[in-house]
Amino acid sequence: MKKIVDRDGCVLSGLDGKQKRHNLTASLAVALFFVISAFTFMNFLFVLSDCAGSIVCASPDVALRDALRSAPIILSFFLTLSGLMTAHTFYRNESPDILRKKAKKHATIGIVTGTVLIVYVTVMLIAGRYLSIVEGAPSPLYPLDSVLYALAFVAAGIGIRAYLGKAGDEPLFCGPSRPTVWKKGRGVRSFFRMIWLLTGLYGFCGFFYSFFIVDFRVGYVPYSVASIFVSFIAFISLPVWEFCYNNLTAEKRMKKTLPPAILYLAVSLAATVFYFLALKKNLDGPSNVGFGLLPIAFSASVNLATLFVVAVPLVVSVAALVKGIFRRIKAKE
Amino acid sequence: MKKHLICFITAAAMLLSFVGCSAVQKSSEHLEDYVFNVQYHDDFNILQLTDIHWNVNSSTKASTAYLDKLLEEVNGHIVAEQGESAKIDLVELTGDMFMLANSYHLKTFIDYFEKKAEEYGFLYAPVWGNHDRHALYSPNKLAKEFREAPHCIYFEPNDDLYGRSNYVINLTEDGTADSAVAWMIANIDSGASFSETELSVSRDYDYIRPEQTDWFISEHALAGEDVPVIAYYHIPQDENAKAWTEVTEKGSDIKNKYFKLEDFADNGKEEFASDFIDRAKDHNLKAAFMGHAHNVDWTFEYEGVVVGLGVKTGTELYFAHIDADSEDEAMRTGLKSVGITEDFDLIGASLVTLTGRDGSFDLEHLYFNERENGDFAVWVKW
Repeated sequence: MKKIVDRDGCVLSGLDGKQKRHNLTASLAVALFFVISAFTFMNFLFVLSDCAGSIVCASPDVALRDALRSAPIILSFFLTLSGLMTAHTFYRNESPDILRKKAKKHATIGIVTGTVLIVYVTVMLIAGRYLSIVEGAPSPLYPLDSVLYALAFVAAGIGIRAYLGKAGDEPLFCGPSRPTVWKKGRGVRSFFRMIWLLTGLYGFCGFFYSFFIVDFRVGYVPYSVASIFVSFIAFISLPVWEFCYNNLTAEKRMKKTLPPAILYLAVSLAATVFYFLALKKNLDGPSNVGFGLLPIAFSASVNLATLFVVAVPLVVSVAALVKGIFRRIKAKE
Repeated sequence: MKKHLICFITAAAMLLSFVGCSAVQKSSEHLEDYVFNVQYHDDFNILQLTDIHWNVNSSTKASTAYLDKLLEEVNGHIVAEQGESAKIDLVELTGDMFMLANSYHLKTFIDYFEKKAEEYGFLYAPVWGNHDRHALYSPNKLAKEFREAPHCIYFEPNDDLYGRSNYVINLTEDGTADSAVAWMIANIDSGASFSETELSVSRDYDYIRPEQTDWFISEHALAGEDVPVIAYYHIPQDENAKAWTEVTEKGSDIKNKYFKLEDFADNGKEEFASDFIDRAKDHNLKAAFMGHAHNVDWTFEYEGVVVGLGVKTGTELYFAHIDADSEDEAMRTGLKSVGITEDFDLIGASLVTLTGRDGSFDLEHLYFNERENGDFAVWVKW
């Protein structure tokens, strides 16, 4: 069997042409699905925020009506997430067995979610809950666009299952292998990584949209810049982690944990301090210049969600710092 | 590499400083800029639509179908009451037209109102609500679209006034600035919300700031001290809650009517109380109408000024279901005041008819619900 793992510093060193191609395809797929997941997550948050607003204002009937109408938006997020997870499984390629098992699982989730979405829209149309297949809002083609999106995922899911089924014992995918997630405390790790991922998606979308919706009005520049900076810090750790840190071999990672952790902590702290100074300068900034970036915070008229976006990078960097210190001590022993 | 980085940071800082340094207009030196002139006639009809709240979950098809029927009902009512030539003259959109919306909603909304303005012959004037700033479009885009819409009256200068847009519509004899002003309509941005400190967990709803009141008084002086005024804005100011306390706790004999089924959602703090009505009432303010709290259309008369919330338009976000058999004191009081004996939803519109140049006007609330066996439409006079 071809050696697909190179632990000589970087997992990308010494790859042949086919391995490079597979690695590039998997990396691009992860990046693409991350971006699409971010946009679908923002839509999901918008739906959720509006429904939460209705519930808070004692109109659960309106919340239910809206949730039923927007279920395809909610399902589209989970659909995209299944795509991200599938692509990520290939990218990590922990072992041929894990790859086959996990990729099949995520592809199946995509097929099931997509099918549910298509059936749901069909039933809603027949029941007259949608006035037309292109009822409009939030896009001109809604809910038809959701159906087409789901169809693409169902087709892709079937394709992936067929690809993995065809492989038999011979690995069809030969991209580099990256370290496995530790079995110890896997559940807790997965939970916190999911929070990290969701905050990263939120941050990426906020960062992207901020160039279009943040309003640099006179007097609001500090807050506008701070909100862009905080969004950036909220997501940047993810690509650094995935595309830089995880390309190191396990030995290298043991040595290289501490410096980026210290750097990220410093940047996160700077972002937090900057954010609060900007807020002090523009106490009405959040609600006046592009609060579309923070839908939950605005709906609830509280600053908690904003604090959450500021806090998660701090938690991530502190966790990385603790890990780095622990590894350094262990290495000395 | 270092040099490049320094250049990049310097360029970014310069760019940002330029953004923050564009010229700020002094409102007191450009009072005429804030004025639109529209021709006045007796029985000038102003329809208030408020809190339409198009959002990511809205069906624009369903919502416009509701608005179609609502406008038809209002137009029919006006024609029946005032004659064939009467029409809706002005539509005041008193904030929260959107919430968690995107550019598609924005375009569809303006296209719709342009079409209806053409059909019924009205102009429309939007006022910012707290949620209109809360979307996946830039607030600048919303402002630009409104400015460019042919039937929309809107103005947003880069000025020293609080809020994005404060402007007045002077109803003059011939529709130009050359003739006498019969009525003034003041459209004021009551803001959104603010933190008391940078560490506050909660936020307070905004209020009309003293400099906006100063500006209003200057605009009124320009139009003429005797000109009667109606103000439209989004967030209720402190007078509403104070009047409610006077009526319910002190038993004051203040004329009041309609429903009050939740708080007014003002900031409720004395230090952030607005001086607008207190000072504007000495400048011929006849009425002030707003939105914001969907389960309230309670209206009262305070020292000669009629102050009240418009009826929430449409079914987005939340609205009250009125139960004719309810034991709830507030609902029973509201029902008694409007004389309706069946269940209905507290949605519809409000209509003001300016009956004379002396400051007289009529106010009616329309409760309009779509129903399969014939729509529910009840008009209740103030």
